[in-house]
Amino acid sequence: MTDLQLWLSAVEMGCFFGMLALAYYLIHVGAGFFNFAIGPYAMMGGLCTTWLIITYDLGVWPAAATAVAVTVGLAALTELAIVRPVQKRSGGGELPALVAVAAVLFAIQQLAGYVFGYPTLPGQSLATFDPVTVGEVTVQPSSLLMIVVALLSFALSALWIRSTRTGRLLRAVGDSNRAAALLGLPVNRIRLIAFVLAGFVAALAGILFAPKAGVNSLSGLAWSLSGFLAVVVGGTGSVWAPLFGGMLLGLVEVFLPYYFGGQAHVYGMLLIALLFFALKPKGLFVRTVRA
Amino acid sequence: MTAQTSQPAAATAGWDIRDIRRVPGIGGFALGCAAAVLILLWVGSDGYKQTLVTSAATYALIALGMYVPYLMAGSLSMAYSAYAGIGGYAVGLISTKTGLPLAVAWLVGPIVAALLAVLLGLVTRRLSGFFLAAVTLLFGMAFTAFLIDAEALSGGSGGLGNLRPLNLFGWTPSHYQVVLGSAVIVCVIAFLLDRLRLSPWGVIVRTMRDAPRAVEAAGVRVPVLNLLALALGAAIAAVGGGLFTYSAGSITPDTFTLNIVFLAIFMPLIGGAGTPWGAVAGAVIAVELTLNFPAIQTSGTLLLALGVLVIMLVAPRGVVGYADKLRTRTWALLRKEPDRG
Repeated sequence: MTDLQLWLSAVEMGCFFGMLALAYYLIHVGAGFFNFAIGPYAMMGGLCTTWLIITYDLGVWPAAATAVAVTVGLAALTELAIVRPVQKRSGGGELPALVAVAAVLFAIQQLAGYVFGYPTLPGQSLATFDPVTVGEVTVQPSSLLMIVVALLSFALSALWIRSTRTGRLLRAVGDSNRAAALLGLPVNRIRLIAFVLAGFVAALAGILFAPKAGVNSLSGLAWSLSGFLAVVVGGTGSVWAPLFGGMLLGLVEVFLPYYFGGQAHVYGMLLIALLFFALKPKGLFVRTVRA
Repeated sequence: MTAQTSQPAAATAGWDIRDIRRVPGIGGFALGCAAAVLILLWVGSDGYKQTLVTSAATYALIALGMYVPYLMAGSLSMAYSAYAGIGGYAVGLISTKTGLPLAVAWLVGPIVAALLAVLLGLVTRRLSGFFLAAVTLLFGMAFTAFLIDAEALSGGSGGLGNLRPLNLFGWTPSHYQVVLGSAVIVCVIAFLLDRLRLSPWGVIVRTMRDAPRAVEAAGVRVPVLNLLALALGAAIAAVGGGLFTYSAGSITPDTFTLNIVFLAIFMPLIGGAGTPWGAVAGAVIAVELTLNFPAIQTSGTLLLALGVLVIMLVAPRGVVGYADKLRTRTWALLRKEPDRG
């Protein structure tokens, strides 16, 4: 654990998971459930950018902007067309919402595969300056961008939730949709804002992370699980908690394969999930755990 | 739930053997068998269509395996790719590494899968909803990783091939007989699950989904019931996995992917969640769309995914549910009774 380059890699990974977890967090705070389609949103962001550049010869920035717009649109559609009607009909039961987001996840994967093709495409780097060397560590532009953007999005989200009216409304609505509706708060609008913001953060994360290992239409499921695990490990007590969880998972993702071989991180993830879910079922997630 | 109200509650009292119409679930069984016969007639000796039938049977068995914990007990466990994989590897391992009769695989596979389901169920007993789904998905992924890693046991990413044919007391079924057999197994298991759904045990399990505290307060141990449901489901999925492996002649870590688990969640939605036959109907439709749709083959799965979203929004009862509604309406019209459906 002394190789600083590996640590940098872990931090970058952690920032990516942290951003995914932030997207989960925003929807969880605003709508009270976990949107498993976060990973596919990120995949959409990364894959759509590359595809636009390859197919239509677009510049990096217009392509990224389009991809973000598409993803935000998908996120809004998820809430407006799927989650809201399903939750309305099922009366707040958890299983229908879960099945609905599973269907959304699957549909986005298939859509991306159909439109963009199934092979893995390389990611596009938004920044093109020379790698920075700090001591014995070489920081790639894409890594630097990932870390900076992740920290920025957390800082902005924290600021937004704490000090703006909409941010505080988000928490009020998330705590109890019904009470918020009784108080005359704009529940539907706030929920939509949460989904749109989450889609934005996820798309950004996907675009920034894609240069590291490429992206294909099936990357989304693993990303969904990593982000979910990060938000559970970190907890939902504070805006910064998902980043903490993300960092922990980043360490697991980088150091386990380094010491124990290629697939070790999969076992590590399962172990972390089991340990956290089984040994600490109270506290962080009382609301969703059956007594 | 329409099917339940339209049938006499004879499950507790036992049934009169002379009046077969009073056997609960017999209507669905008859219809299911009729559909199976029609499908088998359509298939004939076409090798590709026979493969479609075994695929549909496998999908149906995995979906039926998920039926008890997912639709009756209301907890979505997604480790079914692992359970089907265990069934498949049981066939592969017994065929290539032992001299035991191959039929033993269908005994060992489901038992091992059920034990693993109980173990996973014990570890995750406090979880539900999103947490359970996430852990079980991770478990499915870890199982695939394990299959690739454990080369000495599972043959690594190459998997196991060259399986020997089944030999039941000197009789070796032909390929068509295997296809026939898989259709029969699906029909029998769907029928038994339908009976189970209507039995007192099934009623308790379904009540547990809606009001776990009430069931617990009535003296039924909810965790034990959950474990039983999971074990039963895993065993059924393992039967399907074994069946597929046998008819395909090989198995690799990629044979049962998480894709199949997602499809298996959607099958009851497509077919109708009210009865196990809905899962079977959904499996047939899913195979038809994903594997046998030459016009827009690559987009069959996309079509299915979008179809599921539409069905979820506008037709929550699924194909069988609406067919059943139509049936009761028609009966009511024929008998000139007021419609109760």
